[in-house]
Amino acid sequence: MSIDIEQDYYDILGVSQSATDEEIRSAYRALARRYHPDSRTENAPTTLFHEVQAAYAVLSDSQQRRAYDRQRAKAGLGEKAVLFWDIRLSQSQLCSRHEEQMLYLLMEVRPAAAIQGERLPLNLCLVIDRSTSMQGARLDNVKGAAHQIIDELRDDDMLAVVTFNDRAEVVLPSRSSIDRARAKAQVSTVWASGGTEILKGIQAGLSEIERNHSERVTSHLILLTDGQTYGDEKECVAEARQAGARRIGITAMGIGEDWNDVLLDEVAAQSGGTSAYIASPAQVRTLLQKRVRGLGTVFAQGLTLKPRFTEGVWMESAFCVLPYLDRLKSEGGVISLGTLQADAPLTAVLEVGVAKRSPGEHRLMQLELTADVQSLGRVGEMLRRDVSVTFTPEETSPETVEPAILSALTKITVYRMQERAWDSLDDGNVEEASRQLEMIATRLFDLGESRLARAAMLEAGRIAKGGAPTDKGRKELKYGTRGLTIASRRRSHD
Amino acid sequence: MIECPSCGRKHRPGTLFCSECGVYLPTGGPLRTEPLPDEELPASRANPWVSEQVEEERAAPAPLHLKVLATERQIRLPSAAEVHVGRLDAAHGIFPDLDLTADGGLEGGVSRRHCKIHQRGATYLVEDVGSANGTFLNGQRLTPYLPHVLKDEDELQLGTIKLQVVLQEE
Repeated sequence: MSIDIEQDYYDILGVSQSATDEEIRSAYRALARRYHPDSRTENAPTTLFHEVQAAYAVLSDSQQRRAYDRQRAKAGLGEKAVLFWDIRLSQSQLCSRHEEQMLYLLMEVRPAAAIQGERLPLNLCLVIDRSTSMQGARLDNVKGAAHQIIDELRDDDMLAVVTFNDRAEVVLPSRSSIDRARAKAQVSTVWASGGTEILKGIQAGLSEIERNHSERVTSHLILLTDGQTYGDEKECVAEARQAGARRIGITAMGIGEDWNDVLLDEVAAQSGGTSAYIASPAQVRTLLQKRVRGLGTVFAQGLTLKPRFTEGVWMESAFCVLPYLDRLKSEGGVISLGTLQADAPLTAVLEVGVAKRSPGEHRLMQLELTADVQSLGRVGEMLRRDVSVTFTPEETSPETVEPAILSALTKITVYRMQERAWDSLDDGNVEEASRQLEMIATRLFDLGESRLARAAMLEAGRIAKGGAPTDKGRKELKYGTRGLTIASRRRSHD
Repeated sequence: MIECPSCGRKHRPGTLFCSECGVYLPTGGPLRTEPLPDEELPASRANPWVSEQVEEERAAPAPLHLKVLATERQIRLPSAAEVHVGRLDAAHGIFPDLDLTADGGLEGGVSRRHCKIHQRGATYLVEDVGSANGTFLNGQRLTPYLPHVLKDEDELQLGTIKLQVVLQEE
């Protein structure tokens, strides 16, 4: 079957360019039945049937489909979208009798099917805390993890290593095609002593990254620390914000229990990166490896969502669910979503309040998604969607909510309960905090997360007796509820 | 306003989970499957699958449809390697690929995790995953955790809910 790029095969089958094989197959079957010359249902000319067959022959063959997409893109034909953007609502109909009601919107973003970006070289800097407390297993594991990264880097990747205590030191200046053996030896010489001044580490790390930073690389700083920094927190956050504006992400990893999670979360969030809790030093290697591999598949950067709500519609909250659960902040009406990896879709949930409307169809909002798809050399990619629902005069029978929305909300709910418990405690409301922690434990037991549930019970008991929560329990719950895998298949069958 | 059946907190209509206690509001909590009396269910046992029965073809099998006899609902199985069948229970984070709640699954004794259907070559296999009331194929009870071959026009029964297997090219 030859490919005719003038023909829009997707349009002939009535599917989008991001359609799955399954969607293409079923669209074809339906049309073939309708247009088949022997069919009595429709008096269509046989040319239509041949068109459908030709379209299916190309699109059902993954190799031919890719070739067709590529040729059409080159010729400036076909859909321009390189991003797949799916939006689903918890309800398609709302009752116009309610004064105020809630609606949940789940959006998923991933590279459009059949589009493969080129891998951007990494421009990494490891910023390693070498204060006295890192001595022993912590520093040894971090060094081991650094060795592993050095081994896995590609020749065009750039790496720098910076250590810090009361001051920063560049162990390995940023460059590509590094001499692996020498770099590893260099990292091995790092030894622990002194205090923890995170700002010095971040500044030195960022200036190494800047040397090779461009639009055509994925620049990222990975901070590994186990302690608190004093007096320079605000500057750390300011540096992170500036880095984020320049498309340099920061991943902040805290080892053990004594580090400042509020600060590291903020540093990560401001730069569009993530933070992680490393309970035992032995986990450093796997977590760091996973992170660096993920960074190697970055497809688009600087994703932002701009929701424009119509009157009487407002956003109660926004959460990113995948690849990491995190609260999303709206600054000046713009929500930053960070980067999109080719191998991991990005999903987010908006919790929206809707005021009373008259029956009929109403537009609730317009969503605008922008991204720089550097892996395809396309900057300022923009997509717009209108979200409308029908208001019915009477209450209709409840709709089945999609499992994807429910599983996302299950995670978000537990995470928020945990947030509220710590807020109550910080406000001095001990009784409330302890009660909330007990409720979280119940929910976690229900979800089969017995280890986390026990941690919540322990903290609840400790607080109820007038004690303070342990740093370990607090971090375990915060990062544990963030990492809940709800779809996990447990053995409880009734 | 709607009230949480578990803690009594009030929420705006449309809210799905209670912010206070985390309960799934539309159902108000976990939904346990009640074991049905033995006389309501067939007693004989089916022979599990032995490997010779499977034609080791590379070709993908025809799509599998299940028809719920009571409601006439016909469902096309998602083309995943493994399809879980049961009843959705958000409170416990159980989201089966095929949810039988709308077909009277709870009263019919369908477990939240009831059985799974997977492909092997050109053959579909069904396996009970330790359900409370059992999975039956043509009136015979399946031994849990052992796969059994599904054929066109077979009658599959989950608890007391009967489904017909439709396996043919469209």
